[in-house]
Amino acid sequence: MMNANTSALGIVFPNSYDALVPDLVNVRLMASIPFASRYRLIDFILSSMSRCDIDNISVMVNNNYHSLMDHLGSGREWDLVRKNGGLHIFPPFVEKSAKPYTGRVGALANILDFLRDEKEKYVVITDTNIVANIDFNDMIKFHIESGADVTIAYNEQELPESLVKNQSNDLGYYYTFGLEKGRIRKIYVNAKDTGIQNFSMNMFVVEREMLIDLINTAFVRGQEYFERDVLLPQLNKLNVQAYKYEGYIARICDMKSYFDENMKLLDDYNLDALFSGGPVYTKIRDDNPTRYIEGAKIQNAMVADGCVIEGEVENSILFRGVRVAKGAKVKNCILMQDSVVEAGANAEYLVMDKNVTITAGKDIKGAPTYPVYIGKHKTV
Amino acid sequence: MAKEMIAMLLAGGQGSRLYALTEKLAKPAVPFGGKYRIIDFPLSNCVNSGIDTVGILTQYQPLVLNEYIGNGQPWDLDRLYGGVHVLPPYQKASGSDWYKGTANAIYQNISFIERYDPQYVIILSGDQICKQDYSDFLKFHKEKNAEFSVAVMEVPWEEAPRFGLMVADKDDRITEFQEKPKNPKSNLASMGIYIFNWDILKKYLEEDEADPKSENDFGNNIIPNLLRDNRRMYAYHFNGYWKDVGTIASLWEANMEILDPEHSGINLFDEDWKIYSRNSGMTGHKISAGAVVENAMITDGCRIKGTVKHSILFAGVKVEKGAVVEDAVVMGGTVIKSGATVKHCIVAENVTIGENAVVGAMPTESENGVATVGAGVCIGDNVKIGPDAMVRNDVEGGEE
Repeated sequence: MMNANTSALGIVFPNSYDALVPDLVNVRLMASIPFASRYRLIDFILSSMSRCDIDNISVMVNNNYHSLMDHLGSGREWDLVRKNGGLHIFPPFVEKSAKPYTGRVGALANILDFLRDEKEKYVVITDTNIVANIDFNDMIKFHIESGADVTIAYNEQELPESLVKNQSNDLGYYYTFGLEKGRIRKIYVNAKDTGIQNFSMNMFVVEREMLIDLINTAFVRGQEYFERDVLLPQLNKLNVQAYKYEGYIARICDMKSYFDENMKLLDDYNLDALFSGGPVYTKIRDDNPTRYIEGAKIQNAMVADGCVIEGEVENSILFRGVRVAKGAKVKNCILMQDSVVEAGANAEYLVMDKNVTITAGKDIKGAPTYPVYIGKHKTV
Repeated sequence: MAKEMIAMLLAGGQGSRLYALTEKLAKPAVPFGGKYRIIDFPLSNCVNSGIDTVGILTQYQPLVLNEYIGNGQPWDLDRLYGGVHVLPPYQKASGSDWYKGTANAIYQNISFIERYDPQYVIILSGDQICKQDYSDFLKFHKEKNAEFSVAVMEVPWEEAPRFGLMVADKDDRITEFQEKPKNPKSNLASMGIYIFNWDILKKYLEEDEADPKSENDFGNNIIPNLLRDNRRMYAYHFNGYWKDVGTIASLWEANMEILDPEHSGINLFDEDWKIYSRNSGMTGHKISAGAVVENAMITDGCRIKGTVKHSILFAGVKVEKGAVVEDAVVMGGTVIKSGATVKHCIVAENVTIGENAVVGAMPTESENGVATVGAGVCIGDNVKIGPDAMVRNDVEGGEE
């Protein structure tokens, strides 16, 4: 274990904001959504943590988590097979008196005994719908130096349209901050403001002992959401500091942003920015390199291993094991693992989930503003 | 608990005919096929054949190989009992020796083999590109009630004098062994892959060790001794793709053959016989607008802005705008700067090819030998490296 004064354990919420991308989480959850040609969203968080020597990580799965369990395995790919710490997966703990939790308070209340037994001084808590390259050590340092009780990461950006337009709260809560010299004085829930906001990334650093106290109290009071129910009413009492993240960030807020954030990585500048922090680890598939056969035409594309390309590919992201047959044209598409575009077919503005096949000669098109999604294992 | 068969993989050879490529690493560690090293083939064959215990005999420049093998996890060879073990020569209470020959390398590790109490031992070599089912080989060995079996390939008669040849009767029983003969009596070339009954192997290793005149080599000593004693020796016919990649030309050729799996017979897209390797962990490769990619194998981390034709690129290779890569094998981390031409050559890992430099066949010529650039070398801007060249050190200007 590293320096006991700065050591932290990680807690990851893989189901947060599932409701924003109902198609993509139909057979999985937010954390296991494929991203950037060979990764799943959770890879970015786990790799960031792993790089910061956070090697005691708990993943609080709630539902649809088969794909994630399969992806994580023993945690070996992220160097999380450890005698002390390592990867823990906590499914909802079902007992007669327990009801399913909705917010972080209920989930954390379920693992209080675990938290009490651990040794790390700090806890880092995060969702998985944000793709970034976070230096958690820097955030912990900031937390210690600022004397905060709780530190929350945020970035400055406009609120995504999909969140602003939505009038109900049934897609979950998001938060913006009113700051005073870095201290959070106001937390706004589901704000509809335009212009640049201090937009919460829902990543926390808090001392383990304090977290246990806060959760204990909140749970007894029947509170659900950590920001809304625990922090918001206590902003005068607790020193809640805002940690400004200025690195590369991709937020998955709906199908459109999923599509756009993938496509943004076709720009070398963005790609380098996201991966500059070090390697991002993922489950290994042992594919062979991608093969481009005579006659293939490829322009502006990001391609993983295991593909065979005979046709034309332009402005697209291809995951592992994709086949593009002779005479097929793929333009502005995201093709997930093992999807196939058969001879002479035409695909434009599509998000094809795993194992989708577009049969020979078909012509399927979405629009730039509305990429069409085709569900897992479907044949068109 | 006994194992039916364990594998001993001879990986100590220097591979001196690969020159610059094996200056800092042993031949089995030489990169191959875009994301593999040569040793991935025998190791994957073992796992795919159900062999879970492999001893790797190393001697020459073992650092890269040791690190690459690690705990054997990429090949699923991290086992509680068995798994992969790297076996360098070691100091003993009385007398310590380098591995004097292939047989001596096994002899020095008799105690390793005995830990697993195997019935059979398969001897593999770490310098061949081949997908082979060793369990089928073992089945043959058992069916023939053999004491020793050797995998053989039919080679064209005119090439036969270059090989160790097995002369066998109709029942595949070996009657004679000819090492690189002028007048071959057979065209069955030994692939250097043997299955022994362990008791027989141990007996002959001990006998061989006691003979001061022996070269302690399987081909020169052990096999002739087995023949002398009229042991039950059989030749197992293998018909698949097999390539000894001991020379620059054959290594280049074997890489190029991957680009034509339909005709050459080496298919890496085989879900039923995967070749495993240690992963680079890089992001998917990127092909920019304006790039030309034809008939190529490209893997993670590559960034292509120039032209790549009929070539194999390893992880993290960068081909800048206006650069041309053709008929080339370019290993991991190499950067080919704008305007450079890389043709008909092997470029090792982490090489920088300067702007407008030319490596390999000059544009106007054809039918040249393969040029080779060693790992970490820097080729300056505008430098010209001719065909057949062997570059081990940085070149700042001029022609070679």
